[in-house]
Amino acid sequence: MIKKSRIFGVYEDKKRKLYTINLTPGKRVYGENLVKENGIEYRGWNPRKSKLAAMILKGCPNIFIREGSVVLYLGCSTGTTCSHVSDIVGNNGFIFALDFAPRVMREMIFVTEFRRNIAPILADANFPESYLDRISQVDVLYQDIAQKNQLEIFLKNIDFFLKPGGFALLVVKARSIDVSEKPKLIFSKIRGELEKSLKIVDSRTLEPYELDHMMFICKK
Amino acid sequence: MRRLYIFSNVIGIFIFNEQFQIFDKYLFVNSEQYKNKDSIEKRFYKKYPGLKKPTKDGIKKILAFFKNKNFFEEFHKKNILITKKMIKDSINEDLLIIQAVSAIEELEKSINILMKRLREWYGLYAPESEHYLQDQERFLKCVLGEYKEEIPSVMGANFSERDLMPIIKLAEEIKRLYELKSKNELYLEGMMESYCPNLVSIAGVKIGAKLIKHSGSLKRLVESPASKIQLLGAEKALFRHIRTGSKAPKHGYIFQHPLIVNAPKELHGKIARTIADKIALAVRIDYFRGKFVGNKLRKELEERVKKEELRVKK
Repeated sequence: MIKKSRIFGVYEDKKRKLYTINLTPGKRVYGENLVKENGIEYRGWNPRKSKLAAMILKGCPNIFIREGSVVLYLGCSTGTTCSHVSDIVGNNGFIFALDFAPRVMREMIFVTEFRRNIAPILADANFPESYLDRISQVDVLYQDIAQKNQLEIFLKNIDFFLKPGGFALLVVKARSIDVSEKPKLIFSKIRGELEKSLKIVDSRTLEPYELDHMMFICKK
Repeated sequence: MRRLYIFSNVIGIFIFNEQFQIFDKYLFVNSEQYKNKDSIEKRFYKKYPGLKKPTKDGIKKILAFFKNKNFFEEFHKKNILITKKMIKDSINEDLLIIQAVSAIEELEKSINILMKRLREWYGLYAPESEHYLQDQERFLKCVLGEYKEEIPSVMGANFSERDLMPIIKLAEEIKRLYELKSKNELYLEGMMESYCPNLVSIAGVKIGAKLIKHSGSLKRLVESPASKIQLLGAEKALFRHIRTGSKAPKHGYIFQHPLIVNAPKELHGKIARTIADKIALAVRIDYFRGKFVGNKLRKELEERVKKEELRVKK
């Protein structure tokens, strides 16, 4: 029995497993399980592989990604989470999926070829000027980059591409900012920095799905 | 005078007025045109004197204009084309070296696993030869019947031809793996000699290739300081040191360097530091396509090591 969950476009069954409606029925992206019910095909969403799913299971009331949203996804990797975002925004929405590494982008290309609402961008998120010509303004920005200066990258991209009043989701990996510092301290520092220019709507740690990770949802 | 702004992206070249509404546009037909957009841009500059590039705030408004469903299909198509091209262009010598050195490492691992099995298996038939021939390649020859000295076997079981056959077949495969490995090593050597001769003369082919593999590319190796090069491959120990204050590691991959291996133990740290310094120098010369000074660097390095060794002996 798969029913709607509190989150728009996300479904759950009795065991609280998450699903999204498959935009391209019959096709898998990363070996997830496909469940068919009442003629609709759902794709299982694994919180251990996707931090956004972990955030939802941690009780986040709203991820601000809806049908028709235009999303800039920084750090798409091979498109695991990205494909679920693509399911949620549907054919009326659009995703600009950016990553820096050619190797993972190679896998991503195959995903974007059959999902027509994703545009792959191979560029360094440190330099928004370098991909200005491949992108438009967006409603939602999602960032999952394991870099030391991830906050700086986040703020730069918000400044350039996020519409006023748009929402931005940031996954902070404490271990890639400083291995020796206590994660709690890093999170509170990041919170302080974010509050200078943005309004924090929600923030949760992603334990037990990911260690030393925290997700912030901010409003521009 | 009216003010006009030019903005070009993957879809085409657009001219905006002060209210950031479209004034004129040129849509690219193929990706060739996007690459040669400068010539078309020039035409626009001639047509509209006083044409300007937008400021940052202007760019934001223009980007908002493109957030329109009509453009998304174009964004999708063009970005796929461009990204594919970029992925194709990203393949370089670094990646080939990394693949070659990884292949060699994996071959070594597989040879070791299979060799262990071969020894156990053949040991049932001729335990004495298994015991006395510690050298892998000599043992392999013995199994294949190419070894001249006969070692009499008392403990070994009597194997029929049928029982012996799979052992010999396994040995043949392992021999082939050895050949494959040495072919790969030859290829890697050729690559490294032409790509980074200075690095090779200081660090040797294998350590040099491992350093490139670990840092990801020659460029990133060049960007790292000597202290980082010294500890590449010892991250686990380094982070343990930072986290818990255990002993700091002295060397990573360069530990396998013959100068370090043969040096007295108290000198390991010092020599590792010296070698890392020289590697940092050599790599930079290689990256910027400088002259070959490997011999000179190598000589300096060896002299330094000798001096230190003499000092310790006293």
